[in-house]
Amino acid sequence: MNEDSLPEPVFSAVLDELIPARDSSLPGAGALGLGATVESRLGAAVALVASGLAALDALANTRKARDFVDLPREVRVELLREVAASHLGFVENLIVHLYSAYYQHPRVIEAIGLENRPPYPDGYELESGDLGLLDLVRERARLYRDA
Amino acid sequence: MSRRVSDELADVLIIGAGASGAAMAWSLAETRMRIVCLEQGGWMNPAEYPTTRSGWELERFEGAYTLSPNARGRREDYPVNDDDSPIKVSNFNAVGGGTILYAAHFPRLHPSDFRVKTLDGVADDWPIDYATLEPFYDLNARMMGVAGLAGDPAYPPKEPPLPPVPLGKLGETLGRGFNRLGWHWWPSDSAIATRDYEGRAACINLGPCITGCAQGAKGSTDVTYWPVARREGVELRTHCRVREITVNEEGLASGARYVDGNGHEHHQRAEIVILACNGVGTPRLLLNSRSGRFPDGLANSSGLVGRNLMFHPYAMVTGLFDEPLEGYKGPTGCSIISQEFYETDPARGFVRGYSAEMLRGMGPVSTALWGMSSNCLPWGAEHHAAYDELWDRTAGMVAICEDLPEPHNRVTLDPDLVDADGIPAPKIQYQLSENSLRMLDHAVARGSEVLKTAGARETWSEAPLRPAGWHLMGTARMGSDPRSSVVDPVGRAHDVKNLFIADGSVFVTSGGVNPTHTLQAIALYIADHIKKNLENLFD
Ligand SMILES: Cc1cc2nc3c(=O)[nH]c(=O)nc-3n(C[C@H](O)[C@H](O)[C@H](O)COP(=O)(O)OP(=O)(O)OC[C@H]3O[C@@H](n4cnc5c(N)ncnc54)[C@H](O)[C@@H]3O)c2cc1C
Ligand code: SF4
Repeated sequence: MNEDSLPEPVFSAVLDELIPARDSSLPGAGALGLGATVESRLGAAVALVASGLAALDALANTRKARDFVDLPREVRVELLREVAASHLGFVENLIVHLYSAYYQHPRVIEAIGLENRPPYPDGYELESGDLGLLDLVRERARLYRDA
Repeated sequence: MSRRVSDELADVLIIGAGASGAAMAWSLAETRMRIVCLEQGGWMNPAEYPTTRSGWELERFEGAYTLSPNARGRREDYPVNDDDSPIKVSNFNAVGGGTILYAAHFPRLHPSDFRVKTLDGVADDWPIDYATLEPFYDLNARMMGVAGLAGDPAYPPKEPPLPPVPLGKLGETLGRGFNRLGWHWWPSDSAIATRDYEGRAACINLGPCITGCAQGAKGSTDVTYWPVARREGVELRTHCRVREITVNEEGLASGARYVDGNGHEHHQRAEIVILACNGVGTPRLLLNSRSGRFPDGLANSSGLVGRNLMFHPYAMVTGLFDEPLEGYKGPTGCSIISQEFYETDPARGFVRGYSAEMLRGMGPVSTALWGMSSNCLPWGAEHHAAYDELWDRTAGMVAICEDLPEPHNRVTLDPDLVDADGIPAPKIQYQLSENSLRMLDHAVARGSEVLKTAGARETWSEAPLRPAGWHLMGTARMGSDPRSSVVDPVGRAHDVKNLFIADGSVFVTSGGVNPTHTLQAIALYIADHIKKNLENLFD
């Protein structure tokens, strides 16, 4: 982590609240290690996110006298919603890049029932389907106009 | 050392190696004339297309394969100022042009599309008709490899050379919806090799054809026309960007001044010059070709170069179903088409009509991003349950609305913006007409109706679709009268008798279907005219 990186462990804790564990076999987005990818994609919005994270920790400390990561889940979500409302763009920017990174992750792709591979070269089987459904259309008078 | 034709006078110079330039080059090749094509882009390598690697899905939205030339910003691209348009230009600049990214949805125009003034009292009739283009549609279908099904009551008889793209579960589900409403639908004509065809491997249903087809099944002209045209002796020179068309003392086109990939300037002389740079690139080049004799740009005595730009406003409706549809499999843009609302019905409150092109579903990332922008994928504890309700349960419709020509919709030169070679870039001014707005509303309502009838529990819509400036037409229209058109009925500029235009710029009206099959048929028809009249072309 370099000096300018988004602060941990609060950043990963926030990612874990945005996309929590799916089940016992698939942890939340922070624990999946997506922080670095998300941060690298934030571009200029990184400052907005950094200030949201700082606000979150400050709120946790003033309101609950604890760091954000030490709070129970329900309280974390409540504070996150509060900061999301006061720091417009904080969560919005995060989720664009988080959703993109998360739904490309091999374990997530398998969890939604796909093989973890790019489409090429194996492709997919696709049934040709029932062309008999077109009988109704065939029975129609022609639609085009003479010109 | 072999001598390039560049050192000599070319018989024919084609500018642009996309859909129309390729068809033109192939057709003229049999004459054994010395044919040179200058293309600002390079050859694409299908092994490098995004679907070959993980992370493929995101590359549709960013980087080298995005739709907008402004976002891509490759050296081969030129910027387009489209700030003054609700629809943004999408294109691709390479051997194959827009067909590298296109969805390969490949319908024809209808007989009525050529006679809109006579039939509906709007715009203008074309100086050619369906029957004129029919043999060239057939020829183009063979060369591009069109998959489809004969017997569609929306068209005069036609026989696609390849079997149709699979309906899959999604196509069947939607087809049943259309049947319940008694509306027309048919498997889409698609420039996709549904079995091995002319050296192209069969489609393996990868899905996202619009980032390039790694399988080579999609009919992009780098794998259809160009290999044959080059074998037949056409010289295709890549990374060569034309700055201007030059003219001689007699007011004939004498060739083109261009910049090669190393920034060196050249002049290619030619007897005949043919423009195939698309509905934005062609007017841009004509307007950049000012001279003492042609102070308002070449071939522009009518003042119509760049005017009457037509895009096809798109409405998009997405439906959410209860059952998985396997929509991430199969060519994204090619499943079924409905032309129930194609021909004019005054009771609808607008003239002309639209095609409804049914789309397949989305991949995992697109599903998440669409869910986010449609406010149906929350973060937090409900995220996974919400995602599971979206994943593989969406199907969409896009309505391709006929755009009528209006002179204020136009391409001009931007006073400041230039490309990497300092050549003035195009600027787009475009507004949606009242007729288009009414048609878009109608399409959204009918799209929601059919998706719900097919089983969608909810629908979302977007109209006009912002990035849908991928059909570029009308900016150098065809006609018999030099005062109201730029080229004559065989594609020759009224003002310059050895200059032809062979791309979508020559469309008089847009119809309500994707234009590539038509613009290639027009290129083949113009080539045919040139071939048949070589002896007395300039008499
Ligand atoms: C995402 C997307 C999806 C699409 N889907 C469909 C579809 O399903 N069905 C359909 O029919 N159409 C579709 N299209 C549109 C289709 O790509 C175009 O209609 C078609 O490519 C236009 O052909 P053209 O020959 O006029 O121009 P293009 O194919 O755009 O070719 C023009 C060529 O000229 C070159 N050029 C321009 N200016 C210069 C210059 N000054 N010097 C040298 N070279 C120059 C360009 O680099 C380009 O390669 C789609 C387009 C996109 C972007
Ligand atoms: S679906 Fe077929 S045509 Fe489209 S990219 Fe895949 S293999 Fe190519």
